[in-house]
Amino acid sequence: MAEVVLRNLAKSFGTTQAVRDVSFTVPDGAFVVLLGPTGAGKTTLLRLIAGLERPDCGEIMIAGRPVASDTPAERNVAMVFQQYSLYPHMSVRDNLAFPLRSPMLRTPEPEIALKVRAVAETLKIAHKLDNKATALSGGEMQRVSIGRALVRAPSIYLMDEPLSSLDAKLRTDLRVELKRIQTSLGATFLYVTHDQIEAMTMATHVGVLDEGRLVQFGTPREIYETPASLYVAGRLGLPRMNMLPAALFAGAPPGAQTIGLRPENIVQGTGRPARVVRIEHLGDQTRLHLVFDGHEIVTLTDPHTGLEPGDLVPIEPMNPLYFDADGARIARGDY
Amino acid sequence: MSHLNMDSVARATPRHLSRRIRGLSDRAIAWVFVAPTIFLLLAVNIFPLIWTIRLSFTNYAANRPNAEVQWIGLRNYERILSDPDTWATMQATAHFLFWTIVFQVMIGFALAWLINQKFRGNDLWTTIIVLPMMLSPAVVGNFWTLLYQPQLGLFNSIVGFFSGADPTSFSMIGDVHLAPWSIVIVDTWMWTPFVMLICLAGLRSIPDSIYEAAECDRASRWRQFWTITVPMVLPFLMLAVLFRGIENFKMFDLVVQLTGGGPGNITTLTSIELKREAFEKWRTGYSSAYAVILFVTVFGLASIYVKALNRVKDR
Ligand SMILES: Nc1ncnc2c1ncn2[C@@H]1O[C@H](COP(=O)(O)OP(=O)(O)OP(=O)(O)O)[C@@H](O)[C@H]1O
Ligand SMILES: [Mg+2]
Repeated sequence: MAEVVLRNLAKSFGTTQAVRDVSFTVPDGAFVVLLGPTGAGKTTLLRLIAGLERPDCGEIMIAGRPVASDTPAERNVAMVFQQYSLYPHMSVRDNLAFPLRSPMLRTPEPEIALKVRAVAETLKIAHKLDNKATALSGGEMQRVSIGRALVRAPSIYLMDEPLSSLDAKLRTDLRVELKRIQTSLGATFLYVTHDQIEAMTMATHVGVLDEGRLVQFGTPREIYETPASLYVAGRLGLPRMNMLPAALFAGAPPGAQTIGLRPENIVQGTGRPARVVRIEHLGDQTRLHLVFDGHEIVTLTDPHTGLEPGDLVPIEPMNPLYFDADGARIARGDY
Repeated sequence: MSHLNMDSVARATPRHLSRRIRGLSDRAIAWVFVAPTIFLLLAVNIFPLIWTIRLSFTNYAANRPNAEVQWIGLRNYERILSDPDTWATMQATAHFLFWTIVFQVMIGFALAWLINQKFRGNDLWTTIIVLPMMLSPAVVGNFWTLLYQPQLGLFNSIVGFFSGADPTSFSMIGDVHLAPWSIVIVDTWMWTPFVMLICLAGLRSIPDSIYEAAECDRASRWRQFWTITVPMVLPFLMLAVLFRGIENFKMFDLVVQLTGGGPGNITTLTSIELKREAFEKWRTGYSSAYAVILFVTVFGLASIYVKALNRVKDR
């Protein structure tokens, strides 16, 4: 396991700047989650670290050593690809054993068999070991692909949306399992996900990417509670933060253009009235869609609420976030 | 939309015909469409095959249609299988088949691998390499007899240049030891591009992402080649071998043009021998038996091979 440092990393494909001037450190034993919309450059960043892509400029250090001229094999990273990339002509067993059979590792066959079985059991694919890699469901392929990374002890695990095609239960199980593996091994992870729960529960650090730029890097709580910008604020939180003109409510600090209201920043029962449009029961939460002064607001309510569409609910902001005209957050001390 | 089409089709069909078609079930209509093909297949494939098998038990001669035809049982087969000449031609064919396949697979795969390394102008190279395959075998045969000429031939002078031997001291076509190799060389020259094309299709079917995964799994180039490239191209390569094997078992024109089966009958392949028996000696019954033997051999070998091919594909 090792620390990974990125310094001023940039990569473009033709006219597309996939990664621009990204610098951050993945501390040894950390679990760093990368967030960002599609096309933000997350995969490109992982590929740069793996050595599958050559940076236009910038530096990558793994365990304190610059790796610019190293091949992926020499960097000793394990990657879970977004599109799985299994070896289609091999069985699941051989896919999982492939990294261990590297002459660089010299693992004896009985040990390989043990490790493969252990990983397959963790990922609940032990009964598919003799299947051909192409005779699997999407979720099974994805787990084989995770397994192929987990059989090794690399300097860093790079995982590109590894749980994206699993069902809710399996996803929860594997999320817990991956986190357990990470803490027990002290492994270093760089992990891409679009899933809020994965980001909040697994990450020790979260990096938010916007069009190739790293816009904020911090603990999940920092990202959630003190987002640097409207963009970052929109990445986390379900339902999403409501972004309204700051003038809608009293008490906005000077220069504030937008007020950001997460459900917990909205007090119901006092203040000015909003009209209920729709109530959605999602099971674990109940969403309340309101219209306030012509602006839509989504917040949460009690599952057994007596509210009906058309009712009026008074609402008031509490500890909201304010953003200026450029979308940057105005620090709390300033108001 | 299909509704509309059906309508216009119906309108374009003469009234009496359309009424008759409408009266038929789907199954019957299917038979109406398939029947001509089945009939043609029966007429040009199955019937001659059965007829050949029947003739192979007789002493029929096609140039004497009025002579009395005798049923002679397995005599033709006995004579063929006990004739040392048969085994000589079989051996010539085996030699030709084996070495053309070995060379074409090795060179074809190597060329495909080289072309697949993304370098500039590889499309142009592909076109150049594929040219021999597009020539007519008769032209190729003629053209190589010139190249093989001891006095003027380019082949002899090149070999002479590199080996230091006197180019006029050997004749590829005239020498008993060299002639079998002369036909192997020409066939390899002509058909390696075909194997290359099929291998290239195989190589191009392997996505880069698999090599990237292997790279991350710390497989060396050498290991990637043996554990990914070769197994994934193998089904394609085996298909190429099947095509070439069947084609070369039937090889006739190129070799006739080059060596005419000589010197002696050292390059007389089975198909050449068959043609002589059937259309020079007019021993129709005998050559029918010969054809049946060849057919069974090819069919048997090809079936075994196709089984193996399927096993490789499903692996
Ligand atoms: N090989 C390539 N050639 C050209 N452009 C590329 C290539 N790879 C990525 N890009 C471009 O770089 C940008 C970033 O792509 P990347 O795959 O890193 O996005 P991502 O954040 O992983 O998105 P997603 O969440 O959809 O996986 C995109 O605009 C993409 O079109
Ligand atoms: Mg991606």
